[in-house]
Amino acid sequence: MATGGGAGARFQLPEIHSFPPFFTRQPNEDTWKEQRRLWCDLVVAFCRHHRRSALAVAEAVNEPPFSNPRIRRALRVDTLREVVDELVSQGHAAWTGPKGSVRDTCLVFWRKPEVWAAMLHQWAADRGLCNTVLTLYELANGDDTADQEFHGLDYATLRRSLEALQSQGRAQLFAGSSDEDLGVKIFT
Amino acid sequence: MRKAVGIGGLRRREAERLALSRKGSELAQREIEKLQEQVTTMKAKLEAFVREHQRDIRNNPAFRVQVQRMCQLIGVDPLASRKGYMAELLGVGDFYCELGIQIIDICVATRPVNGGLIDIDDLQQRLMQRRLRGSEPVVADDIKRAISQLGPLKGGYLIVEFGGRTMIQSVAREMNADTTTVLGLAHQTCRFSVDDVHAALAWDDYRIRACVDDMIRSGIVWVDAQTAGMPDYYVPSFYSAASKRN
Repeated sequence: MATGGGAGARFQLPEIHSFPPFFTRQPNEDTWKEQRRLWCDLVVAFCRHHRRSALAVAEAVNEPPFSNPRIRRALRVDTLREVVDELVSQGHAAWTGPKGSVRDTCLVFWRKPEVWAAMLHQWAADRGLCNTVLTLYELANGDDTADQEFHGLDYATLRRSLEALQSQGRAQLFAGSSDEDLGVKIFT
Repeated sequence: MRKAVGIGGLRRREAERLALSRKGSELAQREIEKLQEQVTTMKAKLEAFVREHQRDIRNNPAFRVQVQRMCQLIGVDPLASRKGYMAELLGVGDFYCELGIQIIDICVATRPVNGGLIDIDDLQQRLMQRRLRGSEPVVADDIKRAISQLGPLKGGYLIVEFGGRTMIQSVAREMNADTTTVLGLAHQTCRFSVDDVHAALAWDDYRIRACVDDMIRSGIVWVDAQTAGMPDYYVPSFYSAASKRN
């Protein structure tokens, strides 16, 4: 099972990543839609590979996969925002930060929160841990979850997944002093 | 001998003429029969040959091409129809049908990126990837044949040449002379700038602009705005094949 920490095999960039115009927003709408789709796929695959969710667009454009130093090309911040907007509309990302602020930070969900939610619920049911209060720390870093795919998941995504479960009426969140000791009770 | 001028003589002459022409058509008939016999033998031999080498024909592209040529030489088109006896015998009708469908698939799938223009080498690579599971290799000749088979579908599948490149165009559109010229210019480098076109063809900027805009509109070029100066225009269908060759 996944062990967290994204080490291991190098992330394989697609062929189009060496194609200089891939980093310029294409003026033809149809071409752009395809280009955006390719970027969306790339972002999700990249985040999945590195098990990473948080993305700050202004910084991200300076590093791979949003830049390719070999051909000296990088995606522009506003183009990356458009890509993230598309991911958001698909449920594969969410802008974070205060409402109405510049869209600068986001979470990329390489699995949708509802999918994580289902996994968490299944796990709790299998372990007989339903109706017990668990902390986010236990869920993400506890020994009981070591063999689970959500082990090592960042708190922000974990929290959203649990909120999704709560909105289905299958969990209850209890505020803690930090994300780490936020409590949750998963119902059967 | 007295010349036969009477009615009897005329009748006799008429009878001779008839006999002669009967003999003539008899001979012709025999000739035709002989030819038909030869053709039948030929057909039978060819069938036997094809049946015997069916496996090789399916598996060996060079051999397949040769058999195709041979069939064409003697006026048998194994691909003329799915129901043609050769097609049934060889299963080549199926082969090219299948290939045609895969070609359409790839052309449609890559169209958003390349605007419906794909290099035959690139297409061949993609076909091979798709057909991985130990199936027959495909050569450029097969692709051309399969595309000519697509004609009746009126999908506008065309084989076009730019410089030394053979491209498959899968969008029914009339490519104007300027576009073709510029593509011919870019077939080596995969890219061009307005300056390149100006230097090579001495067209005025308006004409170049119009041509470039047209190519962008039809999706056959992508813009790279992150150059030192004016933007570069890339032809993805050229680029993709070139990067695979390297």
